[in-house]
Amino acid sequence: MAALLRPPVMFERAINAFWILLGAAAAAYAWTLGLIGASGPESGLFPFLAGLIIMGAGVVLLLRSASENIVPDFPRGDALWRVLGVIAGLAFMAISIPFLGFAVAGFITMVILLRTVEKSSWWFSLALALVAIVVVVWLFGRILGMALPRGPWGW
Amino acid sequence: MEAIGGLLTGFGIIVTLDNLFFCLLGSLIGTLVGVLPGVGPLAALALLLPITFTMTPVGGMVMLASIFYGAMYGGSTTSILLNIPGEAASVVTCLDGHQMAKQGRAGAALGIAAIGSFVAGTLGVIVMTFFAPTIAAVAIRFGPPENFALMVLGIVCTLFMITGSPVKGALMVALGFLTAAVGIDVVNGRERFTFGSIDLSAGIELLAVVIGLFGVTEVLNNVERIVKSTLIAERIRGLWPTLADWKASWRPMLRGSGLGFLLGLVPGGGPVTASFMSYALEKRLSAHPDGFGKGAIEGVAGPESANNAAVAGSIIPVLSLGIPSNAVTALLLGALVIHGVQPGPLFITQRPDLFWGIVASMYVGNVLLLLLNLPLVGLWVQFLRIPYRVLFPVVLLLSIVGVYSANKNVFDLWVMLGFGVAGYVLSKLKYDLAPFVIAFVLAPLLEQSLRQSLAMSPDGAMILVQRPATALMLVSSAILVALMARRKPKGGS
Amino acid sequence: MKENTIVLALLSALLVTPAAAQNDDAKAELARLKPNDFPTAPIEYTVVYPAGGGMDVTARLLAKYVEKWSNDRIIVNNRTGGAGMVGHAYLATQAKPDGYTVGIIANLMWGDAMLRAQGRWTYADLEPIGYLNSDALTWVGPTEGPYKDMSVKQLVETAKDKPGTLRVATVPGSMWDYLIEQVETNTGAKVLRVPFQGGGAGINALAGGNVDIAQGFYSEFRGLADAGKVRPIGVAASERLSFLKDTPTINEALGGNEYQWFVIRFAVVPKGTPEDRKAYLGAAIRAAMKDPELVAEYLKAGVYFDPKLADPSRMQANLNAYVEAERAFYVKTGRLK
Repeated sequence: MAALLRPPVMFERAINAFWILLGAAAAAYAWTLGLIGASGPESGLFPFLAGLIIMGAGVVLLLRSASENIVPDFPRGDALWRVLGVIAGLAFMAISIPFLGFAVAGFITMVILLRTVEKSSWWFSLALALVAIVVVVWLFGRILGMALPRGPWGW
Repeated sequence: MEAIGGLLTGFGIIVTLDNLFFCLLGSLIGTLVGVLPGVGPLAALALLLPITFTMTPVGGMVMLASIFYGAMYGGSTTSILLNIPGEAASVVTCLDGHQMAKQGRAGAALGIAAIGSFVAGTLGVIVMTFFAPTIAAVAIRFGPPENFALMVLGIVCTLFMITGSPVKGALMVALGFLTAAVGIDVVNGRERFTFGSIDLSAGIELLAVVIGLFGVTEVLNNVERIVKSTLIAERIRGLWPTLADWKASWRPMLRGSGLGFLLGLVPGGGPVTASFMSYALEKRLSAHPDGFGKGAIEGVAGPESANNAAVAGSIIPVLSLGIPSNAVTALLLGALVIHGVQPGPLFITQRPDLFWGIVASMYVGNVLLLLLNLPLVGLWVQFLRIPYRVLFPVVLLLSIVGVYSANKNVFDLWVMLGFGVAGYVLSKLKYDLAPFVIAFVLAPLLEQSLRQSLAMSPDGAMILVQRPATALMLVSSAILVALMARRKPKGGS
Repeated sequence: MKENTIVLALLSALLVTPAAAQNDDAKAELARLKPNDFPTAPIEYTVVYPAGGGMDVTARLLAKYVEKWSNDRIIVNNRTGGAGMVGHAYLATQAKPDGYTVGIIANLMWGDAMLRAQGRWTYADLEPIGYLNSDALTWVGPTEGPYKDMSVKQLVETAKDKPGTLRVATVPGSMWDYLIEQVETNTGAKVLRVPFQGGGAGINALAGGNVDIAQGFYSEFRGLADAGKVRPIGVAASERLSFLKDTPTINEALGGNEYQWFVIRFAVVPKGTPEDRKAYLGAAIRAAMKDPELVAEYLKAGVYFDPKLADPSRMQANLNAYVEAERAFYVKTGRLK
């Protein structure tokens, strides 16, 4: 019983339950799109079948995970912070590009990544971020002719 | 033979300072674009098309074509070194190429990729030289039923690529189908799974999925473990493929060339599909299928050859019939029109200079790219010596730009992040990510061609057995599935 | 009176007349209208269809000549997806109305606005600034097989005698579908509709013997037609096209005058763009459209210039008339209340 309650195993069971829910929801929504029409499959048929398969697989996996124990090795401590740091950096980039423009958002993101993940020195982080952003904007802007989003300051 | 005559004319045209320069320039840009994660030939061609306005038609087309196949050379670089696909046609190269790099054999992988690309590209152009019109005449008969059967074969091949639990593999394939359904149903114009969002109505962008699932996931996995050191712990062992590598690779190269060429011809085919199916084919034919995913060189030689051969295959319908088989060749077609050239079956007789000039340039381009890429292997391998803490932010930055370049939509960055996190979690739980991507790519084509086939058939599903090529491919798929089911007890369920 | 011929004659006269005088006028007007602070960055011409397609080529040619006349930098950008839906929605709701975004679109936008926008935007959110050209939807038939010498009338008869056997390529949810629907309703014929993502794909299928009739535009089938792989059999216009003199109109074949379906290509800016910038952008396009080289390029692609829209002072009113006619069709066929 204790083994069933260990967090990593619970996580896997939660994922399996998620599959079941996802599959069921997808199949239900696909049902409303219509399955078979006058000239063959309608919009809903393929997603419906996919939803059923996902649901079925989720059920099989859920039943099976009682006997199998894949213990996923999720990171702890420092490693966890590093992973979260990368995710936060990317999220920040996506949120801020429309407001700050690519150059500034990218600069800040790179500094975040360099500092959280490997704790590079401030000096090094700022310098590398600056060089990288300048090169990328130059490479894509001038050589490839692609316009990267600009911030309110025009670049 | 008149083909030889035409080819000699073509060489005469191409071997001028101008045209050679454009071929070289295009090759360089193509390689660069291939190396940069996410930015692929489509984006590059769309961006650089206006530059060709000031060139002659020959020069412009030569440059654009060389960007296309150049990208197939460069695409394997980041796949092998960093497990981040340079573009969608290099995704499968990640699977074994990066494993080889981890074993200190990045040089061999890069070398085989370059040479395989050269062999396939050149073979493709040779076939193109002599058989283009004939092949085109056959290819044009490929209709929705044949497409459907081919896609079914592709999905079946995907099943061969599943390494872990078949249930999880099937789940991933189904998930691929479901994700591909998000957007507008092309068959009747209705929105599916978009929930009123304009961004979702465009569908989920393949590049964002691929970079997220393979690139971001990879970075997340790596930053867990690596502290202040380099990505590859193993000492780099030798830059060149060994004799054993050659022996293992030459047959996959030839098979990949053949398969890729054929897949390039069909609508909706092209380098991406070709690379996936070559990988599955090699795994199926291999004496050691369990070695795939752990650094089997066949898993690099086959797909990298296939995607290059597919370029030649997909250019044939454009030059011989004026028919594009994928988005990149559609763009090449548009470029011809802008230069005042009328593509179509008469193109080869009306503008033999242009036709043969382009064909000749492909020979030259492949040689240039080989000469360019082989020495670069030594340079690329040095990249692995850069400490990961410096490498990964730069790579992520480039990935962000690459994904953004697809649709200029920040939403795609969220897709990339979302798939990155999902891929990270799922890989921890031992889910295979490649089948998801393949299903995602093939599902729309499969669904569309099935529904088109049924729509065009007065007898409903009977059309699938009435047409010989379709029936043949469907029967082959069924046989393959049966073979797989028989092997399953050994594979574990 | 054949309006098309008159327009073409006028245009040819333009080509023959020393163009310098005309073009100097256009350049002067352009200089006069140019706002002081605009543009300071490249202007984006947004094309809502994939790169390399007919719309894209039209836009790139236009951009080339607008650059020539205005000396402004133009970047052509493709925003694709949903057969134009994504690009239209972007232009109507997300693009900044600051004059740096111009949409190169077609009247297919109206269908998106009226039927698929789901209240998120209307066609009034996009203001036309210049007319480019028009293209008439054409029926194309095979040169091999049992239908190879049949006219539109004969094919429709076949579809009546043997319903559900004639395969016609269509693009769901737009004029390709509507034309078939009209023919079926009026004649009692019944065909098999095979969906494709664009007219070009249908024509390729026709050349391969996978459909019996395809629908598309001249630029899409010209290469194959010249090589004898397909042949145009009917035009959905009120008169024959000058470069397809031997191809009857569908109205001639089936009677009446309601089989008129064409693509109108025009440039728009998002609503709210400042008037002076809007006027300048429109003038730049007009200047380019007067360039005989551009006209020649467009004519080569088999377009025609609708006289109702070519006159800038009547363009807006006549576009609105076309919109209303389309809306009436949707109401009549039950697609709109």
